[in-house]
Amino acid sequence: MLAFSIFPKNISTYGQEIDNLFWLILFFVTVAFVISLYVLLRPLFTNHYKKVPKARYITGEKKKHFRWITAALVLLALSDFAILFAEHPVWAKTQENIPDPDMHVAIIGRQWNWIFIYPGKDGKLYTADDLYIDEQNSGLHVPVNKTVVFDLKARDVVHSFFVAELRLKQDAIPGRTIKRWFKATETGKYDMACAEICGVLHSQMRNFLVVESQEQFDAYMNTLYEKYKTNQ
Amino acid sequence: MGQAIHLNGNGHHEQSFWTKYLFSTDHKTIGMQYIITGLFMAAIGGFLAYVFRMNLAFPGEAIPLFGELGPQQYNMLVTNHGMIMVLWVAMPILVSGLGNLLIPTMIGTDDMAFPTVNMLSYWIFLLSSVVLLASFFVPGGGFAGGWTLYPPLSAGAYADTSPDFFTALFSGTSLFILAVALEIVSMLMGGINFLVTTINKRAPGMSAFKMPVMVWFLCIASLDFMFSVAPLVAGAVMLLFDNILGTGFYDPVRGGDPVLFQHLFWFFGHPEVYVILLPALGVIGEIITVFSRKPLFAYRTIVKLSLIAAVLAIVVWAHHQFIAGIDPRMATFFSVGTIIISIPFAGVFLSYMATLWGGSIRFSAAMIWALGFIGLFLIGGLTGLFLGSNTFDIYAHDTYFVVAHFHYTLFPIVFFAFFAAFYYWFPKFVGKQLNEKLGKIHFWLTFVFFNGTFFLLFFNGLMGQHRRVHDYSLFSNVIQEPYITFEKISTVCAILLIVSQFIFLYNLVISLRKKERAPSNPWNAATLEWQTSSPPPHGNFPVPVKVYHGPYEYSNPSFSLDYVPQNYDERIMDTESKQDQYEPTADIISTT
Repeated sequence: MLAFSIFPKNISTYGQEIDNLFWLILFFVTVAFVISLYVLLRPLFTNHYKKVPKARYITGEKKKHFRWITAALVLLALSDFAILFAEHPVWAKTQENIPDPDMHVAIIGRQWNWIFIYPGKDGKLYTADDLYIDEQNSGLHVPVNKTVVFDLKARDVVHSFFVAELRLKQDAIPGRTIKRWFKATETGKYDMACAEICGVLHSQMRNFLVVESQEQFDAYMNTLYEKYKTNQ
Repeated sequence: MGQAIHLNGNGHHEQSFWTKYLFSTDHKTIGMQYIITGLFMAAIGGFLAYVFRMNLAFPGEAIPLFGELGPQQYNMLVTNHGMIMVLWVAMPILVSGLGNLLIPTMIGTDDMAFPTVNMLSYWIFLLSSVVLLASFFVPGGGFAGGWTLYPPLSAGAYADTSPDFFTALFSGTSLFILAVALEIVSMLMGGINFLVTTINKRAPGMSAFKMPVMVWFLCIASLDFMFSVAPLVAGAVMLLFDNILGTGFYDPVRGGDPVLFQHLFWFFGHPEVYVILLPALGVIGEIITVFSRKPLFAYRTIVKLSLIAAVLAIVVWAHHQFIAGIDPRMATFFSVGTIIISIPFAGVFLSYMATLWGGSIRFSAAMIWALGFIGLFLIGGLTGLFLGSNTFDIYAHDTYFVVAHFHYTLFPIVFFAFFAAFYYWFPKFVGKQLNEKLGKIHFWLTFVFFNGTFFLLFFNGLMGQHRRVHDYSLFSNVIQEPYITFEKISTVCAILLIVSQFIFLYNLVISLRKKERAPSNPWNAATLEWQTSSPPPHGNFPVPVKVYHGPYEYSNPSFSLDYVPQNYDERIMDTESKQDQYEPTADIISTT
């Protein structure tokens, strides 16, 4: 259709539903735009004052005059509700109903990096053996096709967790813990940006989401245990 | 202007240069002071945009007329561009400038209800502009935390303010907040004046639905402004205290909450969009009726729909915060509100378009600017549906999709509607006729380059390009074709867009140098401001006017006239001799 794709690759289970929502809204918006443009442009071609020297006197105050606009507004209201009904299940799925996690991590934004906290050997977050990784480009390593629930926090200013391929963005607010989830379906390394201006080096605040197979993930966790064993 | 006739006994005596042009209480002078200051600030805001657009298209290279651009300066330019264009360009030009010029002349009175307060409001506005510009030059530079001022980045240690009171007070951040507060004080004074003037000073016979729609919209805008601004003032004062007194209103460690500020800011910030949209719609309403020689379609319904929209506008603010950590169930309510608000505005826009149907359309410069506004705002308004839907906003928030959408709404409002107003009312308030042909060239260049600047950015946003980023070299989604080329096209068009405005300046200069005076009513308009001389004398109407007709009596078959001025009294005036006077002024209309 186009020489380039509109969206980046989708790797999350709900990403396609968000993209579909775009196309649905685009459909309604295009219909509305074409109709409006016709209504706007037609009189400009037919009613130049040289062709129509005397205008018709219509106040538009009668219901009869207004009936076309009423019809258009009813159509618009129906489209509005169609959009709302289509989007609400997706919103509830992504934001309200957090599923049971296969993996629970914490992500903390700071000036200017994303910090990741993995549960230690006990598999529980916020215990003494948690692995606390604050390294540029360390990557958040997650296994593919597993539900990852994360607690999002910020240490200093407002940040915004953004992985375009997941179709997921969420502000990180100092003083709050915000729970969100995703399930990545494709292995690879994806940019993790900060989408909210957070100071001088906002543009350098980049880390990665590394989606890998369960074996690779286990191996990565083992190297982390080895590396941080001395600190425990 | 010296031949003002003083019959009305309102104490309008001859003035010296100082009281006439500088410390004037005359609403016309104050209105023009607002517009000139606003245009000056627009030039600064435009220059800032030029600098950071150059950086986005050609990262790392020295920028002509500026030099190297570091990340701190980049953030500062983006921040100040946003705030300048909204609070120091849109507000003074559309609300204060046009409101001052038009409210008294359109309702047929001599001046504002409180002329001295009006003058004070301008001087406070000028002071706020000076404070804002001064903030660029203090040690540490201007504020660089985004125009939305989100704490903690704008508060305390993160804003680089020092614990020392005076150093903190004169930091870029504090001056920025202070400038915003002063600007709001000034706009509040103006808003009070608009409402009191409209309620108390209308000419006899000027009932509510005989007022031009412009006056209605300015009043609804003032009401919306006053209802919404108090929380922002409170929020700004708390932010200032956090900075200079060391309080912790937005510091979670001390029990504050950063999201509180976001609520206070957007509770004002969203209605603010309607505060500047409504005067723009008013301008368009006046112009399309005159140049299609037809009454405004469904005038009363338009006013009622706008009142509904103005009320709705106050309860949709959190759609700026869908992903800011508010309760997801609350976001649903705001999403419904945001999407529903499209209905009353669609009603207003469709009524405007219906006005054109069956009209006798003249394509003057003002008219094509007005039509351009409607066309572009359609794109701006409709792309709002993507962002109003909270689910798609998860992805699109804080990307260039938002930037493109925002500029497709605000640029037509601020510049297309303003230029429409400028080409339309310039002869009235300056007394010279602008060159129509140059006005049309100015329109087409602005139209083309505006679209060139912003349309492709929708695609950059959909690709996931997040905004306010000085250097995209770390982000592989963005540094690939065709998005690099889109950035370059956008920058080149932005520069050409700025350059095109010199045509406007040239037109302004040659028109001011013209010897011949503009006729009092070059467009054959029916509203009251055209029924006095151009420019109106001090006191506006040498003889107090009385209103007998609605504002849009064009082509009414029950009169023998092409149009019926609002103050036209058939019992007194001799229809035969008047008819000649109200024939279309052929030489101006024929160029269209």
